[in-house]
Amino acid sequence: MATVQVSEAEKVYILHGIRDDLRVDGRGCEDYRHMEIETDVVSNTDGSAKITLGHTAVLVGIKAEIGKPRPMVPDEGYLEFFVDCSANATPEFEGRGGEELGTELSNTLYKVFNNKRSVDLKSLCISEGEHCWVLYVDVLLLQCDGNLYDAISIAIKAALFNTKIPRVQISADDEGGKEIELSDDPYDCMRLNVENVPCIVTLCKVGHRHVVDATLQEKACSVASLIISVTHKGTVTCTRKVGGGSLDPESIFEMTEAGKRVGKALHTPLMKLLQEEESRGA
Amino acid sequence: MPTDTKRVRGPEVSQSPSLFLPDGRQRDQVDVRPVFVRCGLVSQAKGSAYIEAGNTKLMCCVYGPKETERKDETDMKCGRLTTDMRFAPFSCPERGSWIQGSQDKDFSLMLQESLQPAVCLHKYPRSQIEVNVMVLENSGSVLAHAVTCASLALADAGIEMYDLVLGCSIRQDGASYVVDPTYTEQNSCSSVSSENQGGLTVAFLPSLNQISGLQSDGEMTEETLTAGVRTCIEGCYKLYPVVQQALTKAVRRAALPPPES
Repeated sequence: MATVQVSEAEKVYILHGIRDDLRVDGRGCEDYRHMEIETDVVSNTDGSAKITLGHTAVLVGIKAEIGKPRPMVPDEGYLEFFVDCSANATPEFEGRGGEELGTELSNTLYKVFNNKRSVDLKSLCISEGEHCWVLYVDVLLLQCDGNLYDAISIAIKAALFNTKIPRVQISADDEGGKEIELSDDPYDCMRLNVENVPCIVTLCKVGHRHVVDATLQEKACSVASLIISVTHKGTVTCTRKVGGGSLDPESIFEMTEAGKRVGKALHTPLMKLLQEEESRGA
Repeated sequence: MPTDTKRVRGPEVSQSPSLFLPDGRQRDQVDVRPVFVRCGLVSQAKGSAYIEAGNTKLMCCVYGPKETERKDETDMKCGRLTTDMRFAPFSCPERGSWIQGSQDKDFSLMLQESLQPAVCLHKYPRSQIEVNVMVLENSGSVLAHAVTCASLALADAGIEMYDLVLGCSIRQDGASYVVDPTYTEQNSCSSVSSENQGGLTVAFLPSLNQISGLQSDGEMTEETLTAGVRTCIEGCYKLYPVVQQALTKAVRRAALPPPES
């Protein structure tokens, strides 16, 4: 990942600041940077969103395609995640350089959505055992300035909110075969309920405290961070320790609690913003 | 009241059979499957270990420290720990392929992040230590046992470490949980749509009291998660004496002069 070199003096400065709940850019320990969300940015997709968080910029496009349901769950559709680390973000990502980070991020996204309530997968079913909607969630990193997980998860939530899946009907023909009919009206679409879609909160352990939405400088001062994905009700759908350090059990409990609090508070303004933007477009 | 002494009376207190798992382990208790561990089975490797927990069987080999393969990644101050975890094609109920899938890569990364805090990498500048884990039979809790097995192999290889790393998994199913779940327990979920439904794996450094790896999925409340982490730590402590014993045994075997025939 894009990294910065931080000198010892800078480290001490950042550490002492965080100890006193004041970060280099003037934020408190549990504050996010300025965030901008834009939906419906790519017309060729079924749903898209772009988010900028500080200098981090992420673009998410969702395409719905008809596929075959998985044999274990014949009455559900599914989501596919793919994260592409563009060489635009940092030269390190050129060629296969971004692949490792990309698989790490997409694997985490699968875990975040690996539960029954995040997205109503049953609504993606067209005909049981034969056809279902597959949502391809493609994430493109345009700029990296720390805190990729949070930015990606918020962008995905916004893009899922924006997703319009065409309505289809199944009609049986004379020989008993089934036919899928697409609605003639392009505005006749199905929307997803994104209320339960979780958001990821990354907590970076710096010194004895932890910070939310760490910049690259702050990340360079920390040895380990904890990512927690939280729904609007405060349910935790995924946790993971990332980084090469270890954490005290007590601080893990503290960080989970803080993550839940921050994550829960994140959902309400986000949903309000998305609904506002939606009404403005209509 | 006269009692019938001729007849075998039932126990005064009894528990519902559904509380017991098929292999006789109990729910809601820190009851790990019996483990068998052994060090030093691959003579070519610097260190190796084998672990068997129930039907889960894994082996791990450690090679190095040696010169880094990729010159551009050579670190002058610090060594590199590379991990590679693979599933044998016949290890799961469904046949897998020999090519490393994205799940294997994810496991490798988790393994690397769990082990790295325990290894004194600053003692091995400009070199790399390779950890290879092969899953021979997957019967649940693979990652947890891979962590234990790999740390044992590292210790067997004589790599300097701060502490051993032990792994433990639990499966939360509604209000009850299973420690060290089997493959079927791991992938089954009761049809009742309850809040808590998920899996949790913890890697723990017992003598430093530090968590080096944490991973969970599914849906859990914060309280359940916290309780789950505590349960996993307890589970790790249960493994500790077994692992220590295996290590001392390996060291003793290595220290012993070759038997004269």
